Amino acid sequence: MTTLLDTLSRDYLHGKEEVLRLSLVALLTGGHILIEDLPGLGKTTIALALAGITGLSFGRVQCTSDLLPSDITGLSVFNREEGHFAFLPGPIFNNIVLLDEINRAMPRTQSAMLEAMEERRVTVEGTTHHLPDPFMVFATQNPSDQSGTFPLPESQLDRFLICTGIGYPPEHLEKGIIAGGGIRERIGGMTPVASTADILAARRCVETGIYLSDKVVNYIYALVEATRSHAMIQTGLSTRAAISLAQAARAAAFLEGRDYVAPDDVRGIAAAVCAHRLVMRPDQQTVDRGELLRALVADIALPLA
Amino acid sequence: MVAISSLTAVLSYAIALCGIVPLFPWLTAAPRTALAAGLLAGIWQDRRGAWPIKNWQFNLAVLPVFLYYAFQFSRANPVQPVVNALAIMLAARLCGEKSVRHYLQIAALSLFCLAASSLFDLSPVFLFYLALLLLLVAVSLVLLTFLAQDSRLILSGAHLRKVLAAGVLMPLASLPLLILFFPILPRTQIPLWNIAAAPAPRPSGFSDKVEPGTSAAVGESRTIAFRVEMPRQPQQQLYWRGTVFNRMEGRRWVRDAAVPSEHLLYKGARIAQTIYPEPGLSRALFSLDAPALIALARARSTSDGVFEYPGPITRRLGYRAESVAAGILPTAGGIDRAFYLKLPDGIPERVKRLANDIRRRGSNDVRRLELLEQYFRDGNYRYSMRDLPTGEHALEQFLFEKKQGHCEFFASTFALLLRAAGVPARLVGGYLGGDYNDLGGYYLVSDDMAHVWVEAYLDGRGWLRVDPSSLARNAGEVWGGEKQRSLATRLRLFVDSLDHTWNRTIVTYDFEQQVEIARSAGKRLQKFEAGKAARAALPYLLPSLVLAFALVAAVRRPRLFPSQNERLLRRFYRLIERDCGIRVQPGRQGLLEIAGQTGNDRVREFAGVYAGALYRDRKLTHAEAARLRRILKDGFVTRT
Repeated sequence: MTTLLDTLSRDYLHGKEEVLRLSLVALLTGGHILIEDLPGLGKTTIALALAGITGLSFGRVQCTSDLLPSDITGLSVFNREEGHFAFLPGPIFNNIVLLDEINRAMPRTQSAMLEAMEERRVTVEGTTHHLPDPFMVFATQNPSDQSGTFPLPESQLDRFLICTGIGYPPEHLEKGIIAGGGIRERIGGMTPVASTADILAARRCVETGIYLSDKVVNYIYALVEATRSHAMIQTGLSTRAAISLAQAARAAAFLEGRDYVAPDDVRGIAAAVCAHRLVMRPDQQTVDRGELLRALVADIALPLA
Repeated sequence: MVAISSLTAVLSYAIALCGIVPLFPWLTAAPRTALAAGLLAGIWQDRRGAWPIKNWQFNLAVLPVFLYYAFQFSRANPVQPVVNALAIMLAARLCGEKSVRHYLQIAALSLFCLAASSLFDLSPVFLFYLALLLLLVAVSLVLLTFLAQDSRLILSGAHLRKVLAAGVLMPLASLPLLILFFPILPRTQIPLWNIAAAPAPRPSGFSDKVEPGTSAAVGESRTIAFRVEMPRQPQQQLYWRGTVFNRMEGRRWVRDAAVPSEHLLYKGARIAQTIYPEPGLSRALFSLDAPALIALARARSTSDGVFEYPGPITRRLGYRAESVAAGILPTAGGIDRAFYLKLPDGIPERVKRLANDIRRRGSNDVRRLELLEQYFRDGNYRYSMRDLPTGEHALEQFLFEKKQGHCEFFASTFALLLRAAGVPARLVGGYLGGDYNDLGGYYLVSDDMAHVWVEAYLDGRGWLRVDPSSLARNAGEVWGGEKQRSLATRLRLFVDSLDHTWNRTIVTYDFEQQVEIARSAGKRLQKFEAGKAARAALPYLLPSLVLAFALVAAVRRPRLFPSQNERLLRRFYRLIERDCGIRVQPGRQGLLEIAGQTGNDRVREFAGVYAGALYRDRKLTHAEAARLRRILKDGFVTRT
């Protein structure tokens, strides 16, 4: 998996190591990722590249305000020759599904997608269809102050393991990108370096093979507890958030090539996993939750001896 | 969980009580009522949370009261109005709505009230209230700073403990200063504005004349007369000699200042005592009968074994005395027999007859004394404080009709009969008995123990102590050995020992005494043999030292004995700072983070091995520990 990461960031995506790493963390823990940034910074490209390098199938849904749930899940069509309805699977029946600009979809459609994300199956006209494994949603979202958006409610944000931004690439890399042009075409011709089986094996390894020490559990608990008693936060982290944090830390440790979780792993992914789950007090809405969480984390003593 | 507002309210009432209670007995009725009403109204309104009367209205109401007391103020009466006004101001503050400012005012006013109470009375209770008040004020001040920030603050148990600890530590921190100031600060032995009240005349106590028959009953007061520090003595020996009445005038025994000279001999073992009289109007210096020596500056002794102070003892003092408790005082040479046989005119005929009978039957003084004692013993006399003979012929009535009276009747008539029978006699006034306070090692003698007895002169032997009261048929009931001590008595003795300690060490403290103590300590130090003392102290010292060390070690174990991991980690941090120039904040940076920051493979190796053991919840193996030590030994300097 590390080779995968290296190949991607070296050959295709410059200056996106962090987002790539987080995407892999999501993939390895079976979670979903929400990328929140301005259009044109390479959100779609990352998703495409991830699908291309792993050889996983890729589906894409471009969300608009008139998108219907059936446009995602698929629908049954009457086959006149055989005389019965045949199910035509929608784009969600893929390993990696890119939900582009998810906050443009109506809440009704959003909830249909999120249900699929949670249950990993889709019920259309009474028949339950299981989604493929691995299954990962790669949602992108434009900053919600743009017009024509339906912001995701907190409860649904909680479904995403990771929420992160991308940011502009460093100057010299961006200049190189400008000079070299986009890489969409090259992505089509990528050779996979890992198979589906590899990914499933890695996922199993993350689940069972990474040791999580009591010290780290205490550390995670201290962090969660700190968010619950903070003056600016209305609702702190849930138990689900803490579980997600531990899983993500396992995946991060796996990506570092270790078979145990260090507090550093927790620190590294805490902001991406937890920030979007914090519910701020009404008068503190403008505070950057990522910054707040990083400050919180910096205040908690690491277990070092 | 405690709301800080209610906590400060309760504390301020406690503070107010510390100021009010000691001052209360010295206030007049109006401020007393105001204080009680103010306190109750304040508590009630606090509970209700409503204040119908505003603070400025209270302030306005206090103004006329203030003016009233201002007009009462005079040079003759300077304290009472001020104290009353102070109490009313405190009352007004207590019943009004309270902000931080008002709480501070309550604390200040309470402190003033407590201070004012010391103008009236100096007792160890003052120290208790002062300590309590200071403690409460310190805690309250800490809490008030919180209250000023957020009046709705709610303190958890842990935080409350912290605040209490801070509040307790503040007064404790001032203790060393207190010890420093104690010897230098001037002090007073009497309450500043209550000089007249301190030496209160004592009704049933010791007086300068013996005049039985003035009243039908005598009250008994348990007011303390004096305390005597000495080892325990047999109870029947506890005659405290004060003065001698040597002349009879009418039916009164008085002291004639022109004491005929005689030379008393003090033979036998001397008993040393230190006596602390309560201030009073009396001038007599008491000690165990009979005192050979009283060591007090300006004390005068007369030849009949009486010691007197030139004026009333109005301040607290202590004096040493040495006594011979033989019950008989031999004299060198004779005495002025005529002086001790003199009788006033108008002795009743019956008395004369009785005396003449005894004189006739007894061949010598010893025999006559025995006959008189026999007469008293057979006369069926009763010792009583009530239903006493009164009037002109009280003594005669006592002897022949009523046959009951107190010690003055017994002693007066006995001495009168002795003199009339030709035996020189005198009355001795003092005290009989005493409660031994085991805690303080002293006798407590109270006014109800005042007593009068007789000394009869026997040729060749000297002055013999005779207590006619002991010849009463109920003498055994009155002075029958040691009384069983009730719980109340024991409690009283305990409280009294506190009082005595306070008087000894604080009130009668003087610099000379302190110097004396220092000197004697120095003398003892010169005789000090280090080796011997060390050997003697070792069995006590060693276990306590070991215990103290174990305690310190247990409490500070993590710092004193760091685990292997902690030692390694500390060396690691030092090396990182030295070799990589990175300032590490221990506990704030992960090892792997540091390793990534340095970009040094050896740091990374160390972090990997260390974290690998630590975060797998296992101890470092010997091989790993050795490897880490080797890495640390080599340092992190990158060789290029």
